[in-house]
Amino acid sequence: MNLITITTFLPLIGAILLLLLSLRDSGDQKAANNLYRYATLAITLVTFLVSLVILARYDSSNAAAQLVQKNPWIGSLGVYYHVGIDGLSIWLVILTTFLMPIAVLASWHVTKRVREYMLFMLILETGMIGVFVSLDMFLFYLFFEITLIPMYFLIGVWGGERRIYAAIKFFVYTVVGSLLMLVAIIAIYFYNGGTTFDIVEITNNIQTGKTLIPGNVQVWLWLAFALAFCIKVPLFPFHTWLPDAHVEAPTAGSIILAGVLLKMGTYGLMRFNLPFFPSVSQKAAPWMMGLAVIGIIYGALVAMVQPDMKKLVAYSSVSHLGFVVLGIFAFTDQGMQGALYQMLAHGISTGALFLGVGIIYDRRHTRQIADFGGISTPMPQYSTLFLIVALSSLGLPLLNGFIGEFLILLGTFASPVPHAKMFAVLAALGVILSAVYLLWMIQRVFFGEITKKENAELKDMDGREVLAMVPLVVLAIVMGVKPMTFLRGSEKTVTLVKEYVIGKPAKVAENHQDK
Amino acid sequence: MQLTSLNLNYAAIAPESIVSVAAVVIMLVDAFSKKGARKINAGITLVSLVLALIAVFGLNSAGRGSYFSGMIVVDPIRVFFSVTILIVSIAVTLLASQFLRDEALPPGEFFALILFATAGMLLLAGAGDLVTVFLGLEIASITTYVMAGYRRYDTRASESSLKYFLLGSFATAFLLYGMSLVYGATATTNLTAINQAIAEGKVQFPALLMIGAALMLVGFGFKIASAPFHLWTPDVYEGAPTIVTGFMGTAPKVAVFAAFLHTFAEGFNAGGPLGSQLHHVWVTAVAIIAALTMTIGNIVALSQKNIKRMLAYSSIAHAGYALVGFVTSEAAPVGFYLLVYSLMSVGAFAVIQLLARAGDQKVEAADYAGIGFQTPALSFSLAIFLFSLAGIPPTAGFMSKFFIFKSAWDGAPTLRWLVVVAVINSIISVYYYLYPIVVMFFRPLAPGFVKPRVSTMTAVALALALIGTLYLGILPNRVMSSIGRSGTANTALVQPASK
Repeated sequence: MNLITITTFLPLIGAILLLLLSLRDSGDQKAANNLYRYATLAITLVTFLVSLVILARYDSSNAAAQLVQKNPWIGSLGVYYHVGIDGLSIWLVILTTFLMPIAVLASWHVTKRVREYMLFMLILETGMIGVFVSLDMFLFYLFFEITLIPMYFLIGVWGGERRIYAAIKFFVYTVVGSLLMLVAIIAIYFYNGGTTFDIVEITNNIQTGKTLIPGNVQVWLWLAFALAFCIKVPLFPFHTWLPDAHVEAPTAGSIILAGVLLKMGTYGLMRFNLPFFPSVSQKAAPWMMGLAVIGIIYGALVAMVQPDMKKLVAYSSVSHLGFVVLGIFAFTDQGMQGALYQMLAHGISTGALFLGVGIIYDRRHTRQIADFGGISTPMPQYSTLFLIVALSSLGLPLLNGFIGEFLILLGTFASPVPHAKMFAVLAALGVILSAVYLLWMIQRVFFGEITKKENAELKDMDGREVLAMVPLVVLAIVMGVKPMTFLRGSEKTVTLVKEYVIGKPAKVAENHQDK
Repeated sequence: MQLTSLNLNYAAIAPESIVSVAAVVIMLVDAFSKKGARKINAGITLVSLVLALIAVFGLNSAGRGSYFSGMIVVDPIRVFFSVTILIVSIAVTLLASQFLRDEALPPGEFFALILFATAGMLLLAGAGDLVTVFLGLEIASITTYVMAGYRRYDTRASESSLKYFLLGSFATAFLLYGMSLVYGATATTNLTAINQAIAEGKVQFPALLMIGAALMLVGFGFKIASAPFHLWTPDVYEGAPTIVTGFMGTAPKVAVFAAFLHTFAEGFNAGGPLGSQLHHVWVTAVAIIAALTMTIGNIVALSQKNIKRMLAYSSIAHAGYALVGFVTSEAAPVGFYLLVYSLMSVGAFAVIQLLARAGDQKVEAADYAGIGFQTPALSFSLAIFLFSLAGIPPTAGFMSKFFIFKSAWDGAPTLRWLVVVAVINSIISVYYYLYPIVVMFFRPLAPGFVKPRVSTMTAVALALALIGTLYLGILPNRVMSSIGRSGTANTALVQPASK
């Protein structure tokens, strides 16, 4: 059996096992719930371990897809079950499998319909891994949509007060984008001869000029793909579903949403938009960068005035994902590597921030910043860890956020895209703003006098919470100190994608001479 | 000598014969047995339907051909559509048993009606002549009128039945008038001969042919409930017993689509200047009807709070999607779409029937509040059917829409706007299909909810629909290729001239 296939479907098999397990559960609801929790934790941990084997087998000196499995699936259409892993996807898969056990730990206090909750979590994991490993457009689309359903239920059933509104908004926004992408997928399929959905093959055909798509059609197709992914990212002005979804989702839902689901958008841009439509991507780059910069600054400004901690973190995601898009459309090695790195860093830091907010919410059932103050006295461990996480999110050197943002700014400044220098300068402003909103929040929540009586008695983190938080903090530090370990894994593929867009370096020089 | 030229072949009408004979047997059993022959009748019905299914598969090996002087044809379209019709009939029979007991309705006639309707629909799917088209259509229609009013004491059901009857007769009149004009123009009622006459330019009055085709289009449009001929649908669907709604929303449409394919995609798909003109006109008309049907069905469905009514409008929209596949005259995507639609639709109506209780009391969305985790099996099944109707993968609804969109995008380059319209409609439809799910799972439990009892037969029918919906969504290959192999009607003629 192929390792990637195993990793992808292990959670699904786990979900089926969980379903069978529940058929025999007796009257003791509490024991049964614990069984579901431990079983799910075990499944996600095993999945993580298997994914580490993938990492060990992965050859970072090779830019092409590896550990590939390709079997015919729907013969009449030329659809294959084709999965594999390359520099773009390897770390995102690891991020997914790594965050899942943490998300399960974060949902330990869920008491409503535990079995169904865990089922949806596991189905979601299969969907997410599937998105990153698919090398067939059809398969990709399938997984892209499959992630919707469990998340929809997670928000809608286990969410906060306005969960119904948030769940529907999340679903409808995403479906609008993805269905238009479906039309684009069909169109590309036919322009490529109507025989295959294979991403690798189509990329090659387009790059070698074997498949020619008329210029104006390219623009439309690019837009269809970009819309689907920009909604998912979410890039300003498509971001409005995000704060709602985040605020209403349960803690684990927020961790997964911010940690992985948003990355499906930025990943899609790198996997489809850039290689399939190099010239349109080049033309669109200043616009995308512009929107990204607006998102960076707008997100940061809105985050600054949020009275709700979770909403603050949600808007900080809009800001941070703006950096990722900025880096992707810089078309430089540093910029795109930085973008990938920022995806991981954001997944770790923001996941940890949501976890932290969830921990305090469990105790006080409020997330309003004004309800807190001075809680570092009763909760020293929690405050320390939260502070580290916040610092990593705002880009303090030696922590993970710094590497990503720095590389992106560097790459954007050196970018061949028009006005890139201006965008880099403006984006740097976002770095400062993120320090403002995060530190201000820290100050108001953790330091100063204890203004509310209830806060004086707060219990510090328990073992389970520490167990969930510490791996994230450790990884934030490791990623900040030893970035090359991670960057090396994606280097070759990122360079390849860059060359897809702006050609090989020698070719670029020729173009300049022509002008 | 005359007899041989008729080309009698009783194997070619075996499915219809089996079903009709069984219907007569049931009427006799019902007349001679004491009260409560429900189980026996259900058993006879099931056995005869399964036998008919086997007979249909037997046709497949017989190969193409036309029998009874061209009245009956055997081709992949007939085989595939007949299988779909029989699957629906089997599922409805399984569901009917519990419905009849719960509502204490006389069981005998119901099963006989199902069988007669099935016989008519099978005949319709196998019609190679305008006369048999009409014959099949009438047998199927009249029985469904009666079924719609089967709950006699219920005024809504009677209203539904009467409305269905009046408007259905109206539509039949259109169709018949159209047929007579086509006959006037081409001097034949045989579809192959019509095709030849058009191709060879032997048409007396081309205008007559055009008008005839237009009237037939209206007639078929009525029967498949496409806009702007859809107005009867919501009232009829809402008033009829839920399980009958499930039946008439699917099987008759499948049968009419088969006849529609035979007449338009094959008969009116001829060469020659007149043929290509006719083809161009009807394809354009169908494209416009498809766009209208999808859009109207979906937009009106958005505002429905009654689940049955919502599904009625959604079934209008689905006829529109199937028509999108029709513009290329390719039978495979349309057939696959209708099979999938039938499965998920019957499945959804089955759950609704169970939740509605006797007399269809609980069919408002508010009645579904919070029941999600009270009856997880039923409500998750309904959720899967609804996701499938909305076209969300990995359900069959997605796969079938994909085939339709792909076929239309490829086969009709001038009509690609239609695919875009269809996609936008799919987006709209997501909203209202999600609504029952929202209500079931995300809202607090409504008072007065009683867990419905599910009989074994009902469970089997539901499981069939569910497995089909998921199986065809994940592994559509085998079924798709079984119809795709030779299911394309006049491929060479169908492709519109590319630019």
